Amino acid sequence: MHVPDGFLSPQITLPAWAAAAPLWTWAARRNFGTSSTESLPVVGSLTALAFVVQGLMIPVPGGTSAHLTGVAILAILYNPGVAFVCESLVLLLQALFFGGGGFTVLAVNALAMGLLGPGAAWLTWRALRRLSERTAAFAGAYVGIQVATFSVALVLGLQHRLSPAYMPVPFAVTAVAMLVPSLTVLGVVEGLYTVATLALLRRARLLGAR
Amino acid sequence: MLAEPRRDQAVLGAWAASIFAISALTDLATLASAAAVALLVFRRGAATEARRVLVGVVPVSLGLSLASWAWLAWREGPPPVAPHAALVLRAVLIAFVTFSVLRRVDLLRALAPFPTPTRLLVLCLAQIHALRLLARESTLGLRSRLPRRPRTRDVLRSSGAITVALLTLSARNARDVGDAMRSRGFH
Repeated sequence: MHVPDGFLSPQITLPAWAAAAPLWTWAARRNFGTSSTESLPVVGSLTALAFVVQGLMIPVPGGTSAHLTGVAILAILYNPGVAFVCESLVLLLQALFFGGGGFTVLAVNALAMGLLGPGAAWLTWRALRRLSERTAAFAGAYVGIQVATFSVALVLGLQHRLSPAYMPVPFAVTAVAMLVPSLTVLGVVEGLYTVATLALLRRARLLGAR
Repeated sequence: MLAEPRRDQAVLGAWAASIFAISALTDLATLASAAAVALLVFRRGAATEARRVLVGVVPVSLGLSLASWAWLAWREGPPPVAPHAALVLRAVLIAFVTFSVLRRVDLLRALAPFPTPTRLLVLCLAQIHALRLLARESTLGLRSRLPRRPRTRDVLRSSGAITVALLTLSARNARDVGDAMRSRGFH
């Protein structure tokens, strides 16, 4: 789902870095200070699990493939700030060591998949949790991945609008190609993954899991 | 001559500036020239890095570009090939430069003056290594228990137990790594 290096010009990536840098500093200071000793192991585990989950591609109709993000669970268990830092770390590792995503587009991917997506997941979960914890987690994860996908498609569309010679694919094509698998398959799988992981965390009684 | 962490930091700074510069290129001829310069600068180990790019980056970039080109050709008639080719070349060139630079710098040494990012990086790398090993062991274990090749249903059935094992192991592992680093002064 994430944008690879070379698909967005500095016209977009540099302002995104300028927006993300203070948010990273704020989120890291707020969530990973000295009081985070208890929760850090679980956060580390879920970050690594998100990394593994993002490596599992799901084939979708039409010959393309997509992947889960696995960070809605972090927003639900902790807060969107933790999800933002962890997802950024996952994206950085993927960019540096595995050629996934990229460094120039890191801020764009982190804002879309680490902040907007988990932020939407957290808000949805908070709004629905009184009805049913499981439904709220499922709906949060489903909404979160749609918001992240739409944000990425929107940025790619903006790049086409700014320079069709740079990004030759228009928004209509990008949006359809990304949102159809996301709405039909990925959202459901991400929701199920989030509900299942929450249940497993409670069953395994891992320290720091709420 | 710069001290070691400073040298690594300077190289990383130059790398960041160069990949942003490459990401601004749209002309195929300029991109080809930049690729030639990169091959010349990073000629030592170029074959290894090229292979990494070929396996990790080319299939995704080329697949995306081909799919987009085919879609546009089907809807509106064949679009110009040059922007699509430039898209792939940019992605490939940035990945090649990134892999080549990272092979030449010690990331942990460059991060040495910043203990918290170092701690987070070490924690995550250790976790990923542990999880990949466990995932591989679990897959091999599943294969050895079945007389045939595991099907999707078999994988899904065993995924619950594997996920619990993954989480338990990585939580223990993260705590151990975190404690070890704290005892060495990384706070």
